[in-house]
Amino acid sequence: MDTVGERRITYDARGLAEPNAEVPHVSEIDGGRAVFDAADLTTRQINLELRSLIYEQGIRDVTVRNPGAKHSIGVGILQRCKIRYEGSLGYFGLGVIDGPEIVVTGRVGWSVCENMMSGVVVIEKNAGSLTGAAIRGGDLVVKGGVGARTWIDQKGGTIMVGGNAGSMTGFMMQRGRQIICGDVGDGLGDSMYDGTLYVAGKVKSLGIDCVPGEWTDADTELIERKFRMYGLDKPDSFQKFVCGKQLYNYDNLEPSEKKLVI
Amino acid sequence: MTQSHLTTKIGIDAEELAGHRFPYQEDPSLLDDIDLMALTPGEDLNWLEDIHLLGEDDMPAVFDRYSNSFLKIYFPIPQGREDEIARKVLMKHLTSGNSYGIQLKGRHAKFAQPALGPWVEGSETVGADYHPSALEGWERPAGH
Repeated sequence: MDTVGERRITYDARGLAEPNAEVPHVSEIDGGRAVFDAADLTTRQINLELRSLIYEQGIRDVTVRNPGAKHSIGVGILQRCKIRYEGSLGYFGLGVIDGPEIVVTGRVGWSVCENMMSGVVVIEKNAGSLTGAAIRGGDLVVKGGVGARTWIDQKGGTIMVGGNAGSMTGFMMQRGRQIICGDVGDGLGDSMYDGTLYVAGKVKSLGIDCVPGEWTDADTELIERKFRMYGLDKPDSFQKFVCGKQLYNYDNLEPSEKKLVI
Repeated sequence: MTQSHLTTKIGIDAEELAGHRFPYQEDPSLLDDIDLMALTPGEDLNWLEDIHLLGEDDMPAVFDRYSNSFLKIYFPIPQGREDEIARKVLMKHLTSGNSYGIQLKGRHAKFAQPALGPWVEGSETVGADYHPSALEGWERPAGH
């Protein structure tokens, strides 16, 4: 096996740094479960191994040891399955996923779960900035703290944070729910169109058009259900924030855009 | 499907893309086998929590994010079950493979993935043999 970093970079239409990488087939498979050590594998090899296990061999429970904070790990998993990463992930991990239930025992870098469509992701420690960018559905749970611009452009789904969140959290949020147990930095919910923010700690400042919302029974049901599901300690109370709709000009633009493409 | 099938109205719906209406848009008994909890990851409805009954062309409709099109519902919807019915019609549409976005996968997917998405176990894998097209006479840039 080549040492990481020694491979020759060649051109590929998909932008792949290793267009000729092959599935390493290093997993130990026991029934419907598989385990492999990623310490000596490149990002593309790790992703190829994952896809081979899940798509071709029908494995539905995978453990990845020593992911080594490599970037772009576990992206594009479009299948119901369970994946456990024993260690930390780098930038853009777990992006564009649809269906998997994932646990990361360590930390994650920028933009984890970007464009997530569905599934459940639980991160045991901290996450960087832009966590859950443009997420469209599913549950993303970060038990530690998160950086700035978390859930920018969120279009759906539920995101929970056990610790604090940075500035511009929920920037341009369009739909979905954010539950933050700690404090939040400046500009919470700036330019949000829709969706709901719940904050248990202090809010340094609200962003443009983000206003306090009226608490309902549905809010109580959601909070209790999500905390019960993920076994997190629930703070005594939350503040709710929604869109003031002073900048509201959202319409059915998305399907219109699609028609132009088709 | 050619572009000439499409109308010039701003919105777009699933039956316009398909050229026909689907039976589960008219017959609620076809939704009896849809188990929403079984079809979604985790312990609750997961991504379906964001799916609600909407309207399109003055008809009840649910939005299919996998084809960016509305799926109209033509049967009477019992009061209090609006979102449940919308979610069941959508999941019937997706698990049947009738979503236009799913049909596009076979032709355009660049990476291996289950044709019917994460909802149908054992679904055929598509996109595993993608080869980028190349213009005639095109040469790779120097150094690549």
